[in-house]
Amino acid sequence: MALQKKICMLGAFAVGKTSLVRRYVDSIFSDRYLTTVGVKIDKRMVTVSAAEVSLILWDIAGEDEISQVRTSYVRGAAGYLLVADGTRPATIDVAQSIQQRVEGEVGKLPFVVLLNKHDLQSVWSVSAGDIAALQRAGWTVQMTSARSGEGVEEAFQTLAERVIRGQ
Amino acid sequence: MTPAPAVPLEVAEYLHGLVLGERPIAWLAVDSAQILVAAGGALAAHGLDAVQRGRPAPEQLWFLEGLLPPAASPFRLQHVQTTDGRAADLHLFVAGDRVWVVLIDSATERDAAQRVQQKAYDMTLLSEREARLISELEAANLELKRTYEALEESNQRLARELEEAANYVRSILPPPVAGRTLTADWLFIPSTELGGDSFGYHWIDTEHLALYVVDVSGHGVGAALLSAAVANTLRAEALPNTDFRAPAEVLGTLNQIYQMEEQNNLFFTIWYGVFHKRTRVLSYASAGHPPALLVPDGARSAAEIKPLRSTEPVLGALAGIKFVQHEWTVPRRSRLFLITDGAFEIIKSDGSMLELDEFVELLVESAPSGKAELDRLVGVLRSLHGPGPLDDDLSIIRFAL
Repeated sequence: MALQKKICMLGAFAVGKTSLVRRYVDSIFSDRYLTTVGVKIDKRMVTVSAAEVSLILWDIAGEDEISQVRTSYVRGAAGYLLVADGTRPATIDVAQSIQQRVEGEVGKLPFVVLLNKHDLQSVWSVSAGDIAALQRAGWTVQMTSARSGEGVEEAFQTLAERVIRGQ
Repeated sequence: MTPAPAVPLEVAEYLHGLVLGERPIAWLAVDSAQILVAAGGALAAHGLDAVQRGRPAPEQLWFLEGLLPPAASPFRLQHVQTTDGRAADLHLFVAGDRVWVVLIDSATERDAAQRVQQKAYDMTLLSEREARLISELEAANLELKRTYEALEESNQRLARELEEAANYVRSILPPPVAGRTLTADWLFIPSTELGGDSFGYHWIDTEHLALYVVDVSGHGVGAALLSAAVANTLRAEALPNTDFRAPAEVLGTLNQIYQMEEQNNLFFTIWYGVFHKRTRVLSYASAGHPPALLVPDGARSAAEIKPLRSTEPVLGALAGIKFVQHEWTVPRRSRLFLITDGAFEIIKSDGSMLELDEFVELLVESAPSGKAELDRLVGVLRSLHGPGPLDDDLSIIRFAL
């Protein structure tokens, strides 16, 4: 049996978590926004250091002003992708808040920060200074676009390697 | 505490059937080695009909990856969805050495919650977009306001500078004269833009009076500067090797000095005359300028008014032009008018333009009483033009000789 690892997608609502999974697993993208209720579970195989690893992707409903991400969904995860929307700077604050809660309640886990919707340059609102500040805090930041595929493979691969290395 | 009343068997069976019919339930049991040891209920409704007992559970049931053993008992996850669109509430609890996994169909509740949440998020995203657009609009408005204020300040500064330039142009005009030999009055109304009119008169010597009017092409500071420069040159008699009593010679030298290639492509018209007091002979030359108008005492018709014209082209356009000098003996008590084209090229309220002949007619009607005559003239011109500023500088210089 191939190694299996649970990976969670976390972030504010409508930042593109489901679209990133669709791009990563099925290589498709839809402009239509469909909100996620609960959690959607999907799977993709990756190769890390010549070993086949099955990533079990938990695409968890986004956080909004009323409901927080339930960390119970994160239990048993080997790592997570923290997704923010580069056209909505407030979603970075949400990502920071989620990261602190996960670390407090579940413990330290490998994670990568994705600044998604990088294709929307005309409304992109995250400056190089903002990104540098996140990096100074020790975060690995990856620009992604579920629409174009930019950075998506790299993000999942980076996390998978960290998860396996951290075993 | 009152014990809960027992539910009759019939009711319990009815409720059991109702719940299972509406929310199909499947159950699985996993031992401490994470081997699937039992499975039952509506497995097919949850896409689990192919599970095999005796094999590792997480290998067959992805959603269990990382969940075994459960962090708490019971442990519940709501709306766990798989790729085939099914949704279930997942319950895990420990009993003995087994973990029981119960899946209760939640597709209907998931769909209802999804519809409400979709609407709420769509509205939130819309209001976020609206707020961003408003913010961008406000920023753009602020920028526009700053630009407008800077422009306004620049305009005001420019207006002040134009006003100063206009004051200078006016300051170099000669004062009216009311003497026994000579009476001179003038009227100068600049257009809204700074214009290129200038004029002057001065005694060259005790016998010769120089009279001149200049009109530089175009409007603005450039035209005004050139006009003032030419007027100052004439007033100071600052042309080299030139007899200022000889109008054709004066224009010839001016033409050499003020070629338009060296004057920012500006050229000008000029009428220059010299009145000899003793002989009453008026010598004059002109370059593209409207004629001076000599009105003999008692003139009753336009035909009696003598236009003192010449046909040479504008000054500054062509080098080497020979200007023709004309002479005319001025009858006593005549009035002489020097004008620029702004005095008669006036758009009338009916849209047509006043002609020079019509302007000449106005001189016949004018009462010969100094400044009052000019005031009356301009009153007529303004009434012909209608309300609003004049399109060009208007200069009229009246001499009583």
